[in-house]
Amino acid sequence: MAAQPLHELCPAGPGAEAAAIGFGLGLASAWGGQVFWAGEEGVFAEEGAPYPPGLAQFGLDLKRLIVIRAAKREEVMWAAEEALSASGAVVICSLSGRGKPLDLKATRRLLLFAERNHARCLLVRPLAEASAAWTRWRVAPAPSSDDPHELGQPAYALELMRNRGGPAGARYTIQWNAHARCFDERFKEKREAVFRQEARQA
Amino acid sequence: MSEAIWLAIVLPRLSTDRLIRSGSAPEGRPLAVYAKQAKGFLLTGVDKRASALGLRLAMSLADARAMQPSLAAVEAEPAEDAATLDHIAAWCERFTPIVVIDAPDGLFLDITGCGHLFGGELALCDMIVTRLQAQGFAARAALAPTPGAAWALARYGRAREASPDLVQTLAPLPIEALRLEEAPASLLRRLGLKTIGQLFSAPRSAFTARAGEQAMLRLDQALGRTPEALSPRRPAPPVFALRRFLEPLFSVETILIATQALCEDAVQRLDVRGAGVRRACLHLFGVDGRDRTLEIGVSRPERDIKNLMRLFREKLDRVAENLNAEFGIEAARLDVVQLERIGSATRTLATIEETQASTEKIASIVDVLSARLGPKRVLRPKLAETHQPEKAGGWQAGLGAVDVLEIERPPRDGVMRRPFTVFTQPQAIETLASVPDGPPIRFRWRRVLREVARAEGPERISGEWLGGALTRDYYRVEDKEGRRYWLYREGFYGEGEAPRWFVHGLFA
Repeated sequence: MAAQPLHELCPAGPGAEAAAIGFGLGLASAWGGQVFWAGEEGVFAEEGAPYPPGLAQFGLDLKRLIVIRAAKREEVMWAAEEALSASGAVVICSLSGRGKPLDLKATRRLLLFAERNHARCLLVRPLAEASAAWTRWRVAPAPSSDDPHELGQPAYALELMRNRGGPAGARYTIQWNAHARCFDERFKEKREAVFRQEARQA
Repeated sequence: MSEAIWLAIVLPRLSTDRLIRSGSAPEGRPLAVYAKQAKGFLLTGVDKRASALGLRLAMSLADARAMQPSLAAVEAEPAEDAATLDHIAAWCERFTPIVVIDAPDGLFLDITGCGHLFGGELALCDMIVTRLQAQGFAARAALAPTPGAAWALARYGRAREASPDLVQTLAPLPIEALRLEEAPASLLRRLGLKTIGQLFSAPRSAFTARAGEQAMLRLDQALGRTPEALSPRRPAPPVFALRRFLEPLFSVETILIATQALCEDAVQRLDVRGAGVRRACLHLFGVDGRDRTLEIGVSRPERDIKNLMRLFREKLDRVAENLNAEFGIEAARLDVVQLERIGSATRTLATIEETQASTEKIASIVDVLSARLGPKRVLRPKLAETHQPEKAGGWQAGLGAVDVLEIERPPRDGVMRRPFTVFTQPQAIETLASVPDGPPIRFRWRRVLREVARAEGPERISGEWLGGALTRDYYRVEDKEGRRYWLYREGFYGEGEAPRWFVHGLFA
């Protein structure tokens, strides 16, 4: 994913927006570099405004974070194009589902800007049709632990819906490791254990 | 100091000209303005016609009426006159950034280094007088190396320009030309001193004790022996560039070309000082007499013309509709209002620049974004050492120096104790089942029922921290779908009303 310039992260349903942004922030943090988070004011009203202490705990380098609160979608797109001129930067665009969906041309422009400057763009928006993105992910939150008295590290259930570079359809459950600034695939060991058990029984 | 060139303008009929221009003066009659003074109603302004009929300033209104029964007399409105003078001063800013109001009826312009743009200082002087007259203001102006000498010449002299020998220029002028108050002026006259020349030869010590002190100060100022501090209408920019256009500019493109030329001029001057732009104002002077101002700010000293132009292009694009340039722009001035020395760090070897290029680039992007969206929309985070959640983290304008942040590292266990977003207004929720002193088991928020799967807490934040508000118990709660919330309960169980629950933020 890191090698490609434009990805789309779509919340799986209402209430999954935070998870989609979380997945995006995690990717940005894992990749490193300057992070621009440009969002429509409406999204910040709906999902809450970015909160620095929480972002720091999430593992973002606050010194390399700039938040852009845009009044409308056109401003987000414009700001994103500007921000993508910084090579190595990660630009997260939070768009609301209101109004006409973003057209193919607009996403192509983002792709172009990101490609040209070796920057990366993550488009967080409700599921839409046309897009120039390399991959499209459906993101849902996942339970973070099994313990009723303890929350674990943020976990996400992902589905790769589209992939220009290969097959789509894969599903993953991943957990964000804020300390190491990377995602771990979860339940892998558990699944392997189950396989082994089944194999033994067979 | 000696190379300065000052232009003094006097508008001898400001109050009557204003009335005639506004159309409120009766037509075809001599006009005078009067004000109540210690000696009764005296004339404070007479128009050309009245003047030709022998009416003079400081004449009593009754005498004037007796002399000219047809006289139209209007009571003075000093505030209106001052506003008009300020208006003219603003208009004069197209010739130089340093315009000093010399109430009640004069202006000083420091035109040092501006003359060549207008074909020489004298040509500029004539141009200002002609254009003021075209606008209906009687005006005289004169040039001199000091404001005082220019003032004297404009009001009492014949020449428009001081000769190189200032003493000789001033000598034949009456002592009133020294900008004296009435008392010292009349005292000197009673002493038989009528011209400035007589003052030169008079023994200095005899004056200093008496009212002549002011006269000597003014004389020294006029001769440039004592510096004179004048406060301009706008603070003088440390660096500016000015352009005048032979043909008015109408389109944004031509204005941009002119702006580029101004940027080049300004940067050239900044280079000499080893400084860059931090804040700059572009003034566009319309033929209609209005002044449009565009301001840009950058987060570090900038001397790259391309970057400056990008900011101005952004600004211009945004205001293009409100520019009202239908009459054209006749002059433009770029004031570097704030400059900053460029540290040696900015000018080091390429290897260092390569690693820094990125932060510089980020800063320039922030500048462009802030120019278009406004500085309050492009933000950098900041953290504060406080328990009060509302104040623990905030945002500052991305422009300006980056504050050193408290670096909060992610906790070892990787568990987030603070949400990644918070609501400005915590949102009330309806708890459907809960145990006392525990988190809810089920709650409804945004009309959706949520089953709590796991929760951690409480984290008590006492009312003391919240400025006298109720104590809050915060819980981190995850529902069956894995959505994570930052909830709090306000108040305790058994403390009067039932406690209320709120969603304060969301975890990613």
